[in-house]
Amino acid sequence: MATGVQQQSVAARGARRRRKVNWTPYLFILPHLILFIVFLGYPFFSGLYISLFQYDILRPAASRFVGLGNYANLFTPGTPQYQTFWNGLINTIEFVVYSVPPLVVIPLLLALLLNTRMRGVNLFRAIYFAPWALSGAVVALLWWWIFQSQGGLINYYLADLGMRPPRWLNTLPWAWVTIVVATVWWTLGFNMVIILAALQDIPDYLYEASAIDGATGIQAFFRITLPMLRPVMIFIITTSIIASFNLFIQPFIMTNGGPAQAGGGGGTESVMMRIYNEGFVRNLQGSAAAMSFVVASIMIAISYINFRVFGKRD
Amino acid sequence: MGQMVDQFNEEHPNIQVTMTSQGEYYTQLSTAAASNTLPDVAIVHVDQVATQAFRNIIQPIDDLVGQIGVSAGDFPEPVWAGGEVNGKRYSIPLDIHPLTMFYNADLFQTAGISNPPTNRQEFEQAAQQLTSGDNNGFMITAGFPVAQIFATLLHQNGGSWFNEDGTKAAWNSPEGVEALQWMQQAQQNYSQPNLEVDAELNAFKGGTVGMVWNGIWQTTNLTGEGVDFAGQTAAVPQIFDQPAVWAGSHQFTRPVQQNADPCRDAAVAIFIRYMLDNSVTWARAGQVPASNAVRQSIVSGGAGGAGASASAAAGGAGASASAAAGDDASGGLLPSAALAQSVETAVFPPSVPGITDAFAPLDEAISAVMSGSATDIQAALNDAASRADQILAENQQNFGTAPQQ
Repeated sequence: MATGVQQQSVAARGARRRRKVNWTPYLFILPHLILFIVFLGYPFFSGLYISLFQYDILRPAASRFVGLGNYANLFTPGTPQYQTFWNGLINTIEFVVYSVPPLVVIPLLLALLLNTRMRGVNLFRAIYFAPWALSGAVVALLWWWIFQSQGGLINYYLADLGMRPPRWLNTLPWAWVTIVVATVWWTLGFNMVIILAALQDIPDYLYEASAIDGATGIQAFFRITLPMLRPVMIFIITTSIIASFNLFIQPFIMTNGGPAQAGGGGGTESVMMRIYNEGFVRNLQGSAAAMSFVVASIMIAISYINFRVFGKRD
Repeated sequence: MGQMVDQFNEEHPNIQVTMTSQGEYYTQLSTAAASNTLPDVAIVHVDQVATQAFRNIIQPIDDLVGQIGVSAGDFPEPVWAGGEVNGKRYSIPLDIHPLTMFYNADLFQTAGISNPPTNRQEFEQAAQQLTSGDNNGFMITAGFPVAQIFATLLHQNGGSWFNEDGTKAAWNSPEGVEALQWMQQAQQNYSQPNLEVDAELNAFKGGTVGMVWNGIWQTTNLTGEGVDFAGQTAAVPQIFDQPAVWAGSHQFTRPVQQNADPCRDAAVAIFIRYMLDNSVTWARAGQVPASNAVRQSIVSGGAGGAGASASAAAGGAGASASAAAGDDASGGLLPSAALAQSVETAVFPPSVPGITDAFAPLDEAISAVMSGSATDIQAALNDAASRADQILAENQQNFGTAPQQ
């Protein structure tokens, strides 16, 4: 500020130009900003708005303001929404717990293996990454066929070995096993590639120095590799949690949310399936929007905790 | 359906119809309605007619009924009633697709069973006889279509899904409990526990299963060239006191249009009439025509068909014969006479908007019982009924008493 005043007295013309807002950076972010407003900003506020109504997009005249009624339904035992929503949410959290550790550990191990100078390393990288290019529906169908009980690949071979395999898709906890296996196979490539890139950024001299000091490979991994990977691992853990929270297509196709539970809802029905059902099958779009906001708040809270816990150790 | 539309286009140069089929159909209809791109004609399932009417997706077609030239007498009463909402007609039935029994006639022959069972005693005897070693006499899953099987048995036993006006669930009656008990017993005696959806079809195709009950739309999958044994269709046996069978029905509707156009209305009428008259083609894809006249022509028509229907009436002996007879030159599979007749006892849910929502708790309860996670049948059905009642009340309050813009 002081320099600005000084310069103003020296050259008024230059100062006038300086006081003008520099639009260039805004122009650069404008395309993204427009997309953000159209596809995220506006839907966010519009969703918040309709979550206060009993709302069906095709029956605007029948819209009715219910205040926080849609939210209250989710927290009042005995409403049609209560049991199925919390069942779905708890299932989803269960899936996050089951899926995130393998989604972090397996890609890390693969990345370490593929960060060597062995022959055909690019081929292996491509092979592990390839499933990520498939659509979720294809992956789910593929694994459904492998796990199904009548002539499915796994049960066929297990029966050949004289074992009595479980009904993978229709009993717990096996249905979760199938969904976690399908998910890990499908998405580990993405995490692997990111970790691989980070591994290649760790300078060689750190390892050379540790070797001179007599560190073993395992010591080097825990004292150099992991700490250097920390920012990337936080990113991976956070994005994996968010991705797992959005579980939808795998149970939608593989188990259709089953096996059914006595009290209502399915054993593998995710909260996203419940929201889809509420909004597009039952056409209670206000209530579905309210569910989305409750889930989003939980996701934001978890992401925040995650950054606080892992991010603050320096 | 595509074949029928092509033929229609060929015969009507001044009316051209483009057919599209969609997954997640009702979501697609909703989005089409939101963007004003609804088609001129749409097929809607009978249990969705009221919902789609209340959601302003389809419009009343009382004026078109005369142009199409159909009336109540042309169809079985329940399927015609399913197209009426609040005293207005919204849809014209094309087909009725009942729960159907598929059986492996080769296994039947080996076991010395000559006819598909038609009642409880015959069914249980046959299923028992066919269950040995790796073979299952009857296979039932813990998912789809157990709700359809339950509906069939519930109504055969004199029960009902809902009360008269569709405001309360009624499946937790003694009749319902008995029906579900029978299913559980059948699973224990003849089937395997905890089978996932479609497991019974895959096993049947593997040739180790005597009988399965599934939708008639599985005909091409489970009979004829779909299997390498003699797969046959028959009506689901009557286990309890009354004939009844779960069925769905595809119905023609006129979606809401932005601009009224009598010319298009007339074209739609001609199209629907043509489709009804030519629904024999549709029948070959494994659907029973809803039109009485067309259905009669299947039952009595074809080479030796008349004899087959007579013997079917005499105790089901002709059911397999007529299925073979119905397998006519054009390569399709017409339903057997007994099966075609069974649709006259088809049951449909009441014409109430959002009625399918109320089935969700029932589906869950039945699946929970069949997969063993619920053991008290009465409690499971009671719980499902009370949750369905809440959903019905919520729907009533959501949809109101009449469709509104």
